[in-house]
Amino acid sequence: MASVDKCDATLPLNEMMFYVRKSKELRERWTTDLAGLCREFGVSQAEYEALRDQDVKKLHDLGVHQYYVPQMLRLFYGASANSNAHPALEAYKRAYPEESARALALADRLEREGGQGR
Amino acid sequence: MGQIVAAMAMTHSPGLTGWFDRAPMPQQLLAKKALDEMRWRLEAAKPDVILGFSNDHLLNWPINNVPEFTVGIGEEHVGPADWYDEWLAMETKYHIPGDAKLARYIVREGARRRIAFAYLRQMQFDDGFSVPMHYLNPYNAIPLVPISMNCTVPPIPLPARSYEVGVTLREMIKAYPDHTRVAVLATGGLSHEPGGPRYFWVDEAFDLWFLELLKRGDHAALLRECTLEKMEAAGSGGTAELLAWIMALAFTQGPAEVLAYMPAIAWRSGTGMVIWNEMA
Repeated sequence: MASVDKCDATLPLNEMMFYVRKSKELRERWTTDLAGLCREFGVSQAEYEALRDQDVKKLHDLGVHQYYVPQMLRLFYGASANSNAHPALEAYKRAYPEESARALALADRLEREGGQGR
Repeated sequence: MGQIVAAMAMTHSPGLTGWFDRAPMPQQLLAKKALDEMRWRLEAAKPDVILGFSNDHLLNWPINNVPEFTVGIGEEHVGPADWYDEWLAMETKYHIPGDAKLARYIVREGARRRIAFAYLRQMQFDDGFSVPMHYLNPYNAIPLVPISMNCTVPPIPLPARSYEVGVTLREMIKAYPDHTRVAVLATGGLSHEPGGPRYFWVDEAFDLWFLELLKRGDHAALLRECTLEKMEAAGSGGTAELLAWIMALAFTQGPAEVLAYMPAIAWRSGTGMVIWNEMA
């Protein structure tokens, strides 16, 4: 199964993210009252805890659309140019150490080969 | 009657504007050169309108109601959406004229030809159109008719379906009553997995294989060999943005000219720029 197929379109957290991204007021609630915001959207305790803990793998396993996960992390940490040292991306390295290590090794190899392109 | 005067495709990675300087310098230079070349060729074709194909990143439609295709029918397009300002490092909003007459024709005529195009009078814009417009239409001089597709929320259209919709759109443009010069622009891809377990990964081998298929110019072979499963294996939920390229393919014949390819991990996407020189 491809990872995007794990998405559960009926998951309340997926619905919530659609509206949070569009509303400054809801984004403020994210930082001041995340638990209350989640309750209003019918988010389950498991979803809330995975979100609160920024547990990337659990969010995926619960059926959060993978595209939303970095955006959730942005709400905690800001965008900050998406560097590999950004705390949001560190969360990915914790969740998927093998995949992340393989990708970063590839990045290192490509860098050594001169930054390439063709 | 509408006339297809150009067809091109490019990656729309937010890194191309948001954190461009994070990539190695050779990639930055190659991308800039290819994007300049695309802009010059686009301008030389003197289009009256850009017919753009991209995908919605869960911005315009809630996840409980995601149309297969959506047409932006507004008189003007304003972007990026607020959520993307910082992400794309775009400090001011762009205002691009639309072509409401052509856009509404596509929705109406599509229904007659059994394609359900949803529409929005005020489409919101993420990286899908914002990044390409930044580089290819920097003065907002060329009107845009944006068509977004769903390639992120299952079920995702199959390549054959995307090509079929492209063929129908081509026939609709040619049957358009006004004399209008149309440039087709597809955006998305190449390999990447936005937010998935392989968020950092780029599948260079897939990307080069796909570009070789485009260079061969054999549409039937591409549709036979480049399955949705192969795209998903090269990066789930992102590589299938290439379905927009497959829609554009239907407006062309002959080999594609690959201007550049970069396995740009810093931009989180295999990054490529392609032009077709012969229209179908």
